[in-house]
Amino acid sequence: MSIRITNVTKCYGRLRAVDDVTLTVQPGELFAFLGPNGAGKTTTIKMLTGLLVPDAGAIEVCGYPVTLDGQAAKAQMAYVPDQPFLYEKLSATEFLEFVGHMYGLPRSTIRERARDYMARLEITDYAGQLAESYSHGMKQRVVLAAALLHDPQVIVVDEPMVGLDPRTVRTVKQLFRERANAGKTVFMSTHTLDVAESIADRMAIINQGRIVACGTLNELRAQARREHRLEDVFMELTEPESSGEPPGRLTGRAMGSDI
Amino acid sequence: MTQLTSTAAPAPSAAILLGSPASFGLLLGLRFRLLRNRLRQIVDQSPLRILLFILFLAFIWGALYAVFDFVFTFLRRYEQQAIVAIPLVFHVFVMAMTFLLAFSAGVLVYAALFARQEPSFLLATPASPRHIVTIMYLEALFFSSWSLVMLGMPLMLAIGHVQGLPWHFYLIFIAALLGFIPIPGSLGLVAAAAVATWLPRVAKRTVTIAGTIAFLAIVLWWGRLWGLSSADSNRWLQNFLAEMQYVKAALLPSTWVTNAIRYAIEDRPTDALFYLAVIASTAAFLSWSAVTFVGGRLLRAYASAQTTGSRRRAAEGRASRVLTHLLFFYLPPRTRWLVLKDVRGFLRDPAQWSQLVILLGLLGLYLVYLPRSRPEGFSRQWQALICFLNDGAVTLILSTFTSRFVFPLISMEGRQMWLVGLWPLPRSSVLRAKFYYALTITTLAALGVTALSIRALDLPFALAAVQIGAVVAACFGLCGLAVGLGARLPNFRETSAGRVASGLGGTINLIASVALVAISVGLFGVICYRLVRQEDLTMLDPASMGCFVAIFAMGLCTAWFAIRAGSRSFNHAQF
Repeated sequence: MSIRITNVTKCYGRLRAVDDVTLTVQPGELFAFLGPNGAGKTTTIKMLTGLLVPDAGAIEVCGYPVTLDGQAAKAQMAYVPDQPFLYEKLSATEFLEFVGHMYGLPRSTIRERARDYMARLEITDYAGQLAESYSHGMKQRVVLAAALLHDPQVIVVDEPMVGLDPRTVRTVKQLFRERANAGKTVFMSTHTLDVAESIADRMAIINQGRIVACGTLNELRAQARREHRLEDVFMELTEPESSGEPPGRLTGRAMGSDI
Repeated sequence: MTQLTSTAAPAPSAAILLGSPASFGLLLGLRFRLLRNRLRQIVDQSPLRILLFILFLAFIWGALYAVFDFVFTFLRRYEQQAIVAIPLVFHVFVMAMTFLLAFSAGVLVYAALFARQEPSFLLATPASPRHIVTIMYLEALFFSSWSLVMLGMPLMLAIGHVQGLPWHFYLIFIAALLGFIPIPGSLGLVAAAAVATWLPRVAKRTVTIAGTIAFLAIVLWWGRLWGLSSADSNRWLQNFLAEMQYVKAALLPSTWVTNAIRYAIEDRPTDALFYLAVIASTAAFLSWSAVTFVGGRLLRAYASAQTTGSRRRAAEGRASRVLTHLLFFYLPPRTRWLVLKDVRGFLRDPAQWSQLVILLGLLGLYLVYLPRSRPEGFSRQWQALICFLNDGAVTLILSTFTSRFVFPLISMEGRQMWLVGLWPLPRSSVLRAKFYYALTITTLAALGVTALSIRALDLPFALAAVQIGAVVAACFGLCGLAVGLGARLPNFRETSAGRVASGLGGTINLIASVALVAISVGLFGVICYRLVRQEDLTMLDPASMGCFVAIFAMGLCTAWFAIRAGSRSFNHAQF
């Protein structure tokens, strides 16, 4: 099991941002995590990466508990936040070098992989410039390259396609697909339903802190009794009136998933 | 192309599983690389900035050295008082530094560990939390203590010069100061982690409340000291010195620093080294304890700090709106809405209003109690001298405020040009709105303190009018400079107002502001001198009147030219 989230709850004061969420993601899966704004996606991701501590429940990555033994779990994982962080006074090359060393990679491997990822993500031309001169999309590409550099078992990505041009979107989709095919796990939160529809193996929809559906696209269609696009399914499952206690909330058994 | 994705899952290396022991070296190396890149960039792009910075630093150091040298030479003339006063001055100075450094380091550590985006990145890597804390702690020590070094070095040189001390005094002095810095710094680190862990929702309010309590405590203490006042000033001094004895308590770090320096001055290096050892061991122990304690709880503290919520109340929004419409009634309605945005930013940023309140408040407090130190009243000479010093203090405080908070306004506005730039208003109206906003706030604050000064000194009308005029002119000049140069030398790429203020444009503005203040205060000094010479403070002679007109004209003209230059540049700026 690559990711195991068990009965996780997180409250901000009186607000239950994440409410008793349970889900698992297998190695080799490209998992899309969907939901409206404020549904609890980023909070879940931050707990998954150890940046927030759950009030209840447990999270494991590659068998290592995230909350108790963060280092071991983090060594298996990479995180790309929705707001890409780069040191403004470092170039892309220097940043990748720093990240590679942080994960204990040999210098030759760092150079080799950095060169290849920079070429694939088309960073090479500005790799020597300081990050302060980069656009949002350029920063996003550098952060993606840094996340992939140590060949993590699990990559957690929050809104990966924001600010990327269509060409890079295609490259990123290919990269994610390649990783999943190689047995790695990609956990991707996104609002871009087309991307989720086109590359995700399974997906979960979270609404008001609770998982309202989880499964393959066909399983979600069946749940929503819709035959068409993911967008229609998403709208159906996140209707405001259906979100209090979702009438169509899927059970693990019904969907064949681990919910 | 190399195989980027291995199919086998590699086990995490032992180093990573143990928390990457190398991460401290990497993080330290990262800091040096960031510093190197920044310096290289400055040297490549604006060598003038380094030159100006060095010149400015040399000027400040020179001025401080001259003041300290004068004070210690003056005190040496009165041997008896010098023996009593100098160690006490040191005790009070170092003790004040203890509180200031703890507060400053605490704020810096809080910002570095819990308010920036960097820890979110680092905590998602296998970097050891203890190493992250250590790096941020060292950085905070460096940034919080530069002012101590700035003040300490000229102080050391002045003492060494006046007393003719041997070389080892300088070494012991530097070691005592540097060794002392981690003691308050470690307290600040623990306090910052405690606020993040237990008071995350009210971090800013906590700082504000703590600051207010500290301010009130100072007020009460100060009031108590001044309450010792009697008709005899010498007796008051004796009471004051007796009251201050507690700062010499043997267990206080400030006492160890003072003793180390005192023994170095007295050429007793062995005794000085004993205190140095006490300082160093305490600093090392406290730093190790604080870093271990906070490092072990970093994740929980960070997670807790992320739950910070803003609790703005609708009533506060209404109050600021009413206040703005009242204070800026003279502006057109649409400009008033522009100003309202800045007023809300000012009221909701404790760093801004607390700086004005604390600095001008302390000045006001001293002015309230000033008459009690001399119940028999001030002579003409003292009236003129204190009035001159008050004018200098008020305008210098204003210059630091406008340089830090008014100068970056336009740079920050540049980020909102997608909104403001599309309004059916000329761009220059944005500048004028900033100018009137800054002018109104600084003038109200400065006039309040000036009124207290006039009342405390019981100034005659002529001198009072000159002081009011000089302060208002300084407000015009300083606000005009900050807004005009802010538009002429903006930094639209920077997201931090503090970094805009400390950049090239901010440095130029600070130098220009200090120069304006120096000329204005100098002319005001000439007026005071001439009034004392003619032994009549109620009438200005033609030369004094000329100086007054010059002060006023200089303030207005500076504002006009600066705003004009700024408007031209801002009208053609591309975002």
